[in-house]
Amino acid sequence: VRRSKIAPYLFISPQIILFAIFFAVPAITGIYVAFTDWNLFEAPVFTGFKNFYEILFNKDSTFYMQFHNGLWNTVQFVIYTVPICIIVPLLMAMALNTKLVAYKFFQSVYYLPSLLSISAVVLTWVFMFNKNNGLINNVFNLDVIWGGVSRGGGQQPYTWIALVILTVWWCIGGNLIIYMAALSGVSKDLVEAACIDGANSLQKFLHIIIPGIKNPLTYTFVLTTIAQFNIFGQPFMFSTGGPSESTYVLIMYIRTLAFGSGEPQAGLASAMSVMLGLCILVVSIFQYAFMREKEN
Amino acid sequence: MSKKFLKLVALICAMALAFSLAACGTKKEKPADSNATSAETKKDTVKTDVAKTSSKEVEFWSVFTGPDGANMQKMVDEYNKTNPAMKVKHRPILGDDLYAKIPTMVASGKNIPDLCVNHVERLPLFVEKDMLIPLDGYLAKNGKIKPENYVKTAWDMGTISGKHYSVPLDVHSFLTYYNEDLLKKYNAMNVIEDKKITFDEIKQVAQAAKKDKIKGVGVTWMRVCFLSWFADLGGKLSEDGTNPSFNSEAGIKALQNFKDMHDQGFTTVDGDDPVQLFKAGKLVFLPEGIWMKSGLDEVKTLKYGTANMPSFDIKTVNNWTSSHQIVMLKNPNMTEERANAALDFLAWVGENSLEWAKAGQNPASLKILENAEYKSMKQSFLLTMPETLKIHNYKYYGFAVEALDKVVTDAIFGKADIKKGLEKAQKETADRIKVGK
Repeated sequence: VRRSKIAPYLFISPQIILFAIFFAVPAITGIYVAFTDWNLFEAPVFTGFKNFYEILFNKDSTFYMQFHNGLWNTVQFVIYTVPICIIVPLLMAMALNTKLVAYKFFQSVYYLPSLLSISAVVLTWVFMFNKNNGLINNVFNLDVIWGGVSRGGGQQPYTWIALVILTVWWCIGGNLIIYMAALSGVSKDLVEAACIDGANSLQKFLHIIIPGIKNPLTYTFVLTTIAQFNIFGQPFMFSTGGPSESTYVLIMYIRTLAFGSGEPQAGLASAMSVMLGLCILVVSIFQYAFMREKEN
Repeated sequence: MSKKFLKLVALICAMALAFSLAACGTKKEKPADSNATSAETKKDTVKTDVAKTSSKEVEFWSVFTGPDGANMQKMVDEYNKTNPAMKVKHRPILGDDLYAKIPTMVASGKNIPDLCVNHVERLPLFVEKDMLIPLDGYLAKNGKIKPENYVKTAWDMGTISGKHYSVPLDVHSFLTYYNEDLLKKYNAMNVIEDKKITFDEIKQVAQAAKKDKIKGVGVTWMRVCFLSWFADLGGKLSEDGTNPSFNSEAGIKALQNFKDMHDQGFTTVDGDDPVQLFKAGKLVFLPEGIWMKSGLDEVKTLKYGTANMPSFDIKTVNNWTSSHQIVMLKNPNMTEERANAALDFLAWVGENSLEWAKAGQNPASLKILENAEYKSMKQSFLLTMPETLKIHNYKYYGFAVEALDKVVTDAIFGKADIKKGLEKAQKETADRIKVGK
């Protein structure tokens, strides 16, 4: 009887071991470091909640400003990108699902950007958003300063718009594939029946398709949110956090503190990371709860 | 919480523990050298039949992962051909990775390279944290490396509280590239005669160029431009060596002057790409790093020259400069013999650094000035004016420049108030010093 209980654990053990080594152990170490003054050189000394006080309550501190500014910029980015990263691939998937000519080709084309590294993506869009010679300003006859060339260059809200556009372009692929698979699972009979009953497209979408792909939708919603909370590469490379630190996201501050060119301040950086992790956790739980509620 | 879940957690913990113990076990059994080196050594031992020490090679780690890595490798290969007592093995590692590795590596006392490249700004911190070996004894014994043969500022940066820790490899600076055709067109070739350009001269040229919609001077990496001009005005990042002091009259003037030029239409504006404009012949002066040279050389139609950074007055000229320095990390396995062999290599590099100049750098060894090929290179004039090479010597340089980076460009483009920006950057620097130990 006992043996049969061990077998399943053996099957999941490879993943659990990897999880423990690359996630659990670093995460727990990270939480511990947040309560110390570790500088990577000397043994960490426990300092209690000092780091958290510094970033959460000490209004005179630079790190209070950095944490709040960084978190707010990160939240803004999540608010701007997540809905678009859900809606655009969903609409595209629905269009492709009508099985138009060469839809497989379009599917691959839309998925392609997801295979690129962030540096290739940003470099491409730096050329596209170039003020004088860029494709976008020239095609649409604009004189907009998107940012992306000099450190601290760019003008809001255009820098945000540029970041959102390149992010959406980069990451529609993953969600698109999931929606394509989900849509093919929606019962054709139901759709047909609705047609006969005289439902219009919007009604079909709201009452048949959305409930039909609810689980994948929740899944992508939560995962996309988590992914966008971890925003770093786009503003780091495209706008270097500018103009006026308006796109300086939290992970950029964390990186500078822990791995900048001065003495590392890993304790403070870890405290910021823990707070970011907590934010992601709370938001994810809230999202799941919200979606479950609707189900019931 | 369900029982099953608790069981699972217990299992994870047990596995993690078991695994980490296992890892410790294997670590202890491993030899001090990394697998690759010991394998290499074995091969060598078989070949030459010398098996006295654990490794017969000088392990040299650099941060040259770009195209310059190939130049360095070429130099190492050349050196190894001279049949030295110990051959050198070059290993390029990404700078950030290397710097993150050093503390744990030195603490463990294992797999430590004999020679390691450090950016000069990192030296004070590494010395304070006891990561480096003072070289004075080894240098005296070896006798081939003489301070007077190196650029003084670069050498002096390696001396910290009376001990010397590094041998400089190069000095890389910011300078001004100018478009020769445009200067001729505006009858301004006299401006660059002495290789020194003042802001007033730039304004004159920029005024003349306005009618052709050509910009006078580029707004490039403002942090290092600011550090050059700040030094022109006698500014110091810290007056007392600890507390930042760049929120000063000199700091404000250094930015205000350039902002005024921006406001008068003499500079490139927000959104412009100065390098691209310069390549297209639409910009007269481009302050940039000497490492940009090869990029400009690719444009065959461009006729350009080099001069010092713009300054207020030709009497005081400062070109922001940094330097790659070669150090020895604290290492229990370092012996007199190994240290001597390592310094032999550095002495050879000092004598034969033309290859490094080809990578776009200015070698720190003055010996290179005797080389005709080097003298024809566009960056070489800087070594004949060593007094213009400005390395800011400040223990918290890293904090200061990261803070400055966030405000100086905004200040020029009018997105932030100069005084408030410097105040903010100075406060950030001070706060980071306060939080550190």
